[in-house]
Amino acid sequence: MSRPTGGSVNDIARFLSSGGGPGSPTSSSSVFSAASQADWAAKRLVWVPSEKHGFESASIREERGDEVDVVLTDCQVKVTLSREEVQRMNPPRFSKVEDMADLTCLNEASVLHNLRERYYSGLIYTYSGLFCVVVNPYKNLPIYTESIVEMYRGKKRHEMPPHIYAISEAAYRSMLQDREDQSILCTGESGAGKTENTKKVIQYLAHVASSHKSGSLGRNKEAGELERQLLQANPILEAFGNAKTVKNDNSSRFGKFIRINFDVAGYIVGANIETYLLEKSRAIRQAKDERTFHIFYQLLCGATEETRADLLLGNADQYRFLTGGSIPVPGQSDSENFTQTMDSMAIMGFTAEESLSMLKVISAVLQFGNISFTKEKNHDQASMPDNTAAQKLCHLLGINVLEFTRAILTPRIKVGREYVQKAQTKEQADFAIEALAKATYERLFRWLVHRINRALDRRQRQGASFIGILDIAGFEIFQLNSFEQLCINYTNEKLQQLFNHTMFILEQEEYQREGIDWNFIDFGLDLQPCIDLIERPTHPPGVLALLDEECWFPRATDRTFVEKLSAEQGNHPKFFKSKQPRGEADFSIIHYAGKVDYKANDWLVKNMDPLNDNVASLLHQSSDHFVSELWKEVDRIVGLDQVSSGESSGPVAFGAAGLKTKKGMFRTVGQLYKESLTKLMATLRNTNPNFLRCIIPNHEKRAGKLAPHLVLDQLRCNGVLEGIRICRQGFPNRIPFQEFRQRYEILTPNAIPRTFMDGKQASELMISALELDHNLFRVGQSKVFFRAGVLAHLEEERDLKITDTIIRFQSAARGFLARKAFFKKQQQLSALRVMQRNCHAYLKLRNWQWWRLFTKVKPLLQVTRQDEEIQVREAELQKAKDKLTRLILKLFLDLKTRALEEEKNGLMEKLEEDEERAKEMSRQIQTLSQQVKQKSRRD
Amino acid sequence: MQIKPKKPEPKKEAAPAAKPAPPPPQPEPEPPKEPDFDPKSITLEYSADQIEEFKEAFTLFDRTPTGEMKITYAQCGDMMRALGQNPTNAEVMKVLGKPRPEEMNTKMLDFETFLPMLQHISRSKNQGNFEDFVEGLRVFDKEGNGTIMGAELRHVLATLGERMTEDEVDRLMAGQEDANGCINYTSFVKHILSG
Repeated sequence: MSRPTGGSVNDIARFLSSGGGPGSPTSSSSVFSAASQADWAAKRLVWVPSEKHGFESASIREERGDEVDVVLTDCQVKVTLSREEVQRMNPPRFSKVEDMADLTCLNEASVLHNLRERYYSGLIYTYSGLFCVVVNPYKNLPIYTESIVEMYRGKKRHEMPPHIYAISEAAYRSMLQDREDQSILCTGESGAGKTENTKKVIQYLAHVASSHKSGSLGRNKEAGELERQLLQANPILEAFGNAKTVKNDNSSRFGKFIRINFDVAGYIVGANIETYLLEKSRAIRQAKDERTFHIFYQLLCGATEETRADLLLGNADQYRFLTGGSIPVPGQSDSENFTQTMDSMAIMGFTAEESLSMLKVISAVLQFGNISFTKEKNHDQASMPDNTAAQKLCHLLGINVLEFTRAILTPRIKVGREYVQKAQTKEQADFAIEALAKATYERLFRWLVHRINRALDRRQRQGASFIGILDIAGFEIFQLNSFEQLCINYTNEKLQQLFNHTMFILEQEEYQREGIDWNFIDFGLDLQPCIDLIERPTHPPGVLALLDEECWFPRATDRTFVEKLSAEQGNHPKFFKSKQPRGEADFSIIHYAGKVDYKANDWLVKNMDPLNDNVASLLHQSSDHFVSELWKEVDRIVGLDQVSSGESSGPVAFGAAGLKTKKGMFRTVGQLYKESLTKLMATLRNTNPNFLRCIIPNHEKRAGKLAPHLVLDQLRCNGVLEGIRICRQGFPNRIPFQEFRQRYEILTPNAIPRTFMDGKQASELMISALELDHNLFRVGQSKVFFRAGVLAHLEEERDLKITDTIIRFQSAARGFLARKAFFKKQQQLSALRVMQRNCHAYLKLRNWQWWRLFTKVKPLLQVTRQDEEIQVREAELQKAKDKLTRLILKLFLDLKTRALEEEKNGLMEKLEEDEERAKEMSRQIQTLSQQVKQKSRRD
Repeated sequence: MQIKPKKPEPKKEAAPAAKPAPPPPQPEPEPPKEPDFDPKSITLEYSADQIEEFKEAFTLFDRTPTGEMKITYAQCGDMMRALGQNPTNAEVMKVLGKPRPEEMNTKMLDFETFLPMLQHISRSKNQGNFEDFVEGLRVFDKEGNGTIMGAELRHVLATLGERMTEDEVDRLMAGQEDANGCINYTSFVKHILSG
């Protein structure tokens, strides 16, 4: 296992893996606290349900039939529970495991405990078989840096601690190697971190798929730009599609599927974004303490004076559609974010005109809300006494204010074959305004996505394969649920089916690879009845089909829809007609995440989504090019002719005019949604899916706190527990031969001969020595497969065995120490005895006359010998003296010799000098005599 | 968006019907209901010489001021050990009739009562041998090189099983660790079994 080492990286790695040993439970198997091991084995620890902690630890005292006596570990209180309530605890070696599928006791309590332990240690990612579970840390963890990206590059999933990068890397590698399209499915509650993780995936892919620096220069530059734009797409989408909610300061109010296309070499060549179910009602109304989409506040806070004037902007509290006025988001500056959004749009290639036009429409959406109608005194008709807001609106949208007013107050409606002017009530006018505002915003959002796609789509290079990232809300189960929840739950039902099916395929493959005969059940089929209940078109028609049908029916209401549904589907096993009185749920559907109560109020309206088509066609003909483009498709909207002037049932009743509308003229929301979902599922089915489950730990946005019941609910809803349940049907625990032998050989002494033996054979011998029921295990090609819980059993036996040996060894050690101490004592004793004997003897002796005489005489005896001794000593002294004199003499002589020697040397030197001088002189004499001779000769 | 399932998932327990039977319930840590120690059932098999030797040892343990030939319950274990046995604490407690902790230093035991206890303990076969101990300690040999970290061994002896005191562990391990703080457990076991 290769783990990067060295200073800073190591520090960061601390955030990724659970401490000392390398991450995987296999290699850290022997690193466990001996003490906790002892605890677990001796106390027989289990999990029991707890109001406060979800589950708490307890130890079994006694088991009586179906009842179990336990003592709670924390408070030492004794409790009696039924056997089903008690869940077995995993041995300590499984503490903080990275893959919960490795847990041998697979139960809710253990899963929760493991997630919680890891979360408290800052380990937010955990695998659960195919799933990667992530718990929102609510703080910044240093685990998303480029160096971490580098650490995950090219690594297999099991080589590194769990991380979204590991998932991304696996998807990327598998796409390149197997040429198979990939998808990463992020689901979870709002605030669980779907969008953040989606961004991390894109960040990772943008990093690894563009850093191949081999291409030509021009190409690189372009690739860099594309990746930059890809990264900018999210901030823009977030500005327009995200909002602050009670749970989440940056909650995505739409689902999205981002498809990143790669070429054969693995470069990013383009991307495409598809969005689902924008919560457009947020544009006109928000719950307490919630905000509408960020862009509204960004515009109001960040726009320059000039822009403010151009767009006729007011303050946040001047708009009726901003229910709470201006609500700041802690830690965020709307005006700074505005600049960033504008920058992102510039990078994305939006022109200044495009940006301005978008902002204009934003201002217009706000302005819609300020138009108010009053009821005429004499009749029901609505009027608009003050048209300032309408004027502003029409200015912004480039339409004529008189035409607009007429279209709102007295639209032309087709009755039979003729058009008539039909005066609207105040309610109808209000409804129309709101519908128009919502539709305008939705169209703007759609345009934005389309525009981003245009920027990200590079046609010049052919994409070879893609990685799709789905970021969509998970199951929503409120007290009462509406049409939106039905859509999202329907989606999740389909996604879960995809997961179950994938798991089935993969398990099947693993069993085949290991040569194990096992009929796995395709649990994907389990979900089909519920899906049929929702989407089946006929025989009998499902919920969506019936809803559509009802929309075309004269005098139909939400009530008649519920009645029809109950009549058609009353016997469906997943359907329950509510017997409660009106006001409570109308019907319930058993989704796989649980029973969901639906209330059918406004479903017909929501499904048809009617619009004032008079205004729509005005907008279509707007003098502002941008606005008219937004409204270019007006033929398919549900117009006013489908909406009656209904006297009886509220602002909008359907078909009251008795008009038979041709089916298929336009599309209902349900139809459109079903279509886009079908398309999405078709795409996903052709990919290799990777599953990310995001978990929100608490509803207070607090770091380090994990509310157990909240998390358990989510685990139930998002299929983690279901996945585990399915896992349990097979042989979920798998151990490579080598590790199996190493760990459990102690249980089968003498089963394996000391000579070499291959892993499979050794494991088989061990298993037969363990006398396991054949149904509890299978031996594959490289691993032993076990049923859930078998390993815990082995682990327990191993612990008992070890503890037993340790106790025996401790006894031997105690014996050793005791005997050593005893031996010492014995020695001390015998020493004591010797001393005692002596003392005793002395006591007797000291009064014995002879002894007394002896003691008196003894000193005298020594006197007689003194002379002899003196003589001896004197002789010695004499000898020493002689020796000394000799030595002194010798020393003296030595000194003398040395002095003479020196004198001799001095004289010798002098002699030599004299000889030298003599020679010199004789030479001088010679020369002189020669000179004399010469001189004399000359003379 | 509160997720509040109204009911726990109904199918949770329904499907695993096909599930295999869970592994057999774990064996009890102690074999259930072993008969209590009955001194009357013990026949002494010691020779007169042996008994004399034991008596001598017993006097060594006798700390009564007047030499009543009695030892405290707490001394019983070490008394047996001094006479060459290796009982576990649990075994000692059992022959003493499971006294309460505070009785250990107050209750006294005379030689005649002690003898059958010693006889019982010495008949216990399961005292562990060299191979067992080496195999047991091998579990803690992380490197697989025949040594254990001294600190780890200390920890094991002081926290697992019948925990030993720090002082006991210190005396036991004096001079056993090498320069790296490691202990060759084979020779360690040999050393212990030699004494």
